[in-house]
Amino acid sequence: MTGGSRQGARGRGAPNLYDPARKRTWSTVPRRPKEEEIVVDHRQPPGPPWIRTAALFVVAALAFAACGGSTPTTAPATSSPPASGAPQPSSPAATPAPVDTTFTYANHTQIVTDLDPATSYSNEVCAMHDIYETLTRYDAVTNKVMPALARAWTSSADGTTWTFTLRSGVTFHTGRAMDAAAAKAAIERTKTLGQGAGYIWGAVKTIEAKDPQTLVFTLEYPAPLDLIASANYAAYVYDTDAAGPGAGEDALVAWFKTGKDAGTGPYTIASWKAGEEFELTLDQYADYWGGWDGVHYTKVVYRVVPEVTTAAQLLQSGDVSYVDRLTPQLVGSLKDNPDLQVVETPSFQNVVALLNTKSGPLADPNVRKAVAKSFDTIGIASALGGSVAPATGVIPRGLIGYSDSLTGAGLDLEGAAALLAKSGFGPGGKPLTISVTIVSGDTDLSLITTSLKSNLAKLNITLDVQPLQWQAQWDRAKSADVAKRQDVFLMYWWPDYADPFSWFFSLFHSEETPNFNLAYYSSTTLDAEIDGIQALTATNRDQAAAEYVKMEQQLIDEAVVVVPYVQNYQRVLQASVGGFVDNPAYATVVFAYDLTPGP
Amino acid sequence: MRRILVRRGLQSLLVALGVGLLAFLITRLLPGDAAATWAGPRASAEELARVRLQLGLDRPLPEQAFRYITDLVSGNWGISIHTRQPVLSDVSGRFMTSLELVTIALLIAALIGIPLGVLAARWKGRPPDWFAGLTSSVLASVPIFWLGLLLQLLIATELKWLPVAGRWDRTLNEVAVAATRTHMVLVDALFAGNGALFVSGLSHLVMPALVIAAYPIGLFARLTRAGLLETMGEEHVRMARATGYTERAIIWRFALRPSMGPVLSALALVFGFALGNTFLVENLFNFQGLGSYAVDSIAALDAPAIAGTTIFVALAYLAANLVVDLARPVMDPRLRDAGR
Repeated sequence: MTGGSRQGARGRGAPNLYDPARKRTWSTVPRRPKEEEIVVDHRQPPGPPWIRTAALFVVAALAFAACGGSTPTTAPATSSPPASGAPQPSSPAATPAPVDTTFTYANHTQIVTDLDPATSYSNEVCAMHDIYETLTRYDAVTNKVMPALARAWTSSADGTTWTFTLRSGVTFHTGRAMDAAAAKAAIERTKTLGQGAGYIWGAVKTIEAKDPQTLVFTLEYPAPLDLIASANYAAYVYDTDAAGPGAGEDALVAWFKTGKDAGTGPYTIASWKAGEEFELTLDQYADYWGGWDGVHYTKVVYRVVPEVTTAAQLLQSGDVSYVDRLTPQLVGSLKDNPDLQVVETPSFQNVVALLNTKSGPLADPNVRKAVAKSFDTIGIASALGGSVAPATGVIPRGLIGYSDSLTGAGLDLEGAAALLAKSGFGPGGKPLTISVTIVSGDTDLSLITTSLKSNLAKLNITLDVQPLQWQAQWDRAKSADVAKRQDVFLMYWWPDYADPFSWFFSLFHSEETPNFNLAYYSSTTLDAEIDGIQALTATNRDQAAAEYVKMEQQLIDEAVVVVPYVQNYQRVLQASVGGFVDNPAYATVVFAYDLTPGP
Repeated sequence: MRRILVRRGLQSLLVALGVGLLAFLITRLLPGDAAATWAGPRASAEELARVRLQLGLDRPLPEQAFRYITDLVSGNWGISIHTRQPVLSDVSGRFMTSLELVTIALLIAALIGIPLGVLAARWKGRPPDWFAGLTSSVLASVPIFWLGLLLQLLIATELKWLPVAGRWDRTLNEVAVAATRTHMVLVDALFAGNGALFVSGLSHLVMPALVIAAYPIGLFARLTRAGLLETMGEEHVRMARATGYTERAIIWRFALRPSMGPVLSALALVFGFALGNTFLVENLFNFQGLGSYAVDSIAALDAPAIAGTTIFVALAYLAANLVVDLARPVMDPRLRDAGR
């Protein structure tokens, strides 16, 4: 009835208030309403109308809620909490839940930058080891190099000739057979391109495919090739003819860019959508040499989830199987959840504080040693909870050369004050200001500087903390003008393969132009030791370990570096995932084939 | 109308040029060496020189600026350092995703905010007005990141009414990827005729859209209330009232539309504001839109991507302003008449 009367009021020749010629009726002077439209006192409406309106709002809200309740959630078919609060059947007679064989890996950043196995040197490594395989694999539990594509290997007494015996019956995802000639072609291409971590093959002079199963490496100088062949990057064996036999380098590069793969691993790329949330999906490779007997994950999905709180909630709702990184507080809050498991493993990644040995106040060894003695490594580790462990030296536990008997590191403010007094500084002496640069936004590094600042203040030293973007921090450290360089440089370091060599070669070997030796340290003794350590690792690992300990002690004694802590990996995954072992040699990799999906 | 269009078009062009130059400055003022960022930490000097040549960093600055602007016009927005994809295709695809989110958010804001403002004006000084005032104040002032977390915890984790995050259910991933045409999940689902994807996409859009809508709801409610109260005193409304129309009829038929001027004017501003809010909301709700792209670009110091995002947002903002300027006379003929 009301509708009818509204119709009647529209456009029936009523005059327009602003433009009589206009047909639009928004501002027409209304005709006199019909009786039923007239109210007695429209300016003072009684109570009920607004209550009715409020009631309408409530009804609308309830309707929305009801609609929301019927909306399907993203909960997976298995291992998810009950939807809409429905009770989960718990009786033994209940039908067992089906096993979800899709493993969803939540990563905090975009996954793929480069899918070319020769040059890949970024986040995609988390997926690369499920697609590609290396000749050997480092076992972080036994600290030994284990067979992978090579089932055995030997080295000559001087460590310059390495012979690998390859598995037979292995095929690339392209369908071609993986043999010694194919492996030789892959490693030679990676070495020749020399991008990313391609430098790891630097010692290799020639590679010979003696027969389909025998690969012989001749080295320029002795090197631990079994360790090198297990590297996290650039050690993959792949089909260099993937784009077609003789297609050429450009064609192969273009082929990889389209999101295809040429590995031998248990999974192959099903889809790659750059910039999407479900960025990368891998399907099982049916002809995988390891076979598919037993229960395995048949699909691996890499999902980009930048926000840690969101990742934690997706874990709880069962939408992801595994999260690579959460805050210690979030990990703590998830530890009691029976649907989840928390795995904490010491990593091969530590924080290094490089002290400027060449210029500024720290060029004075007394001041430098005093600053080194002001790092409260135990206190910092304690404040950061389970996400870190105090370090004993440069080399993390699990690598050759690790030692817990190094001396001279740790907080000693009295000793620091005595050292400073020798140079006229310290309490009662001349005031001093030193600078430290860190990557901005890293709260863990900020905590280190806060602790250091507090301790140095007691020694009459002001610490100028300068958070910078990584590139700016690094550029400043490399500045040709030594006056622009920082006094203390804080950063993370980790090896490209399970060997401490990169810490020593990159951070402490003399450099004409600074690159990563940002302590600007130069010692002919240490240089000679570093130059000989790879040969020693190749031929006598016990002796190499002793040599590493000696080098570490020298660095501590000369206060070149302080290692505040080693990071612990805190992984959270569904309780239904069986067989997970975190391998710090492959920092972000989950070897999905080794896992067992459960209900 | 044509005069308005030409004038606004020229103004927009000048602003776009200014933003382009500003974006160029961003690419050159960012700390660090762009070539070093591109080439990676272990690049050799030769490789750095090659990249510098490839990126045109060896040319004089004015020439670089000129080339940058001409490249922008010709559609060459450079290559993103962190995705290694063309910036224009990255940004335009991501923008469509954000546009869908912001459009739904503004629709929600209009559907809730305007009635709330009407409620407040209709019962000025009475409990509904107090309720509307309080609601709009709370919504306009609540930090959106906190609101997002609260909704996630309450609606998704506890009540399980809506999904926690993402753009569609993971079981629909292959369907969704295959259906991608416009980067707007609802539109793609309609094109593909996939009801399940549409429902899933909508259910994933509701919560982040509500969070983005929070501030506009409050703003729309306040502007509608103020505009309506002003219009209610105007001659044509008084005439309608004198003829005995109900207060409801007076508001909805005679007063509301001419009161919408301030709301429309604010719409362009709110659109820009909502786009800015996607930086936080998309990260929280795992939307791969322009906001999360900008966050990733900033984190990676990806100068071409940061510049591209800046330009795209500026252009979108200009377009929104233009649309609003053109829409206002449609809503209020007095402005149309004044424009003559």
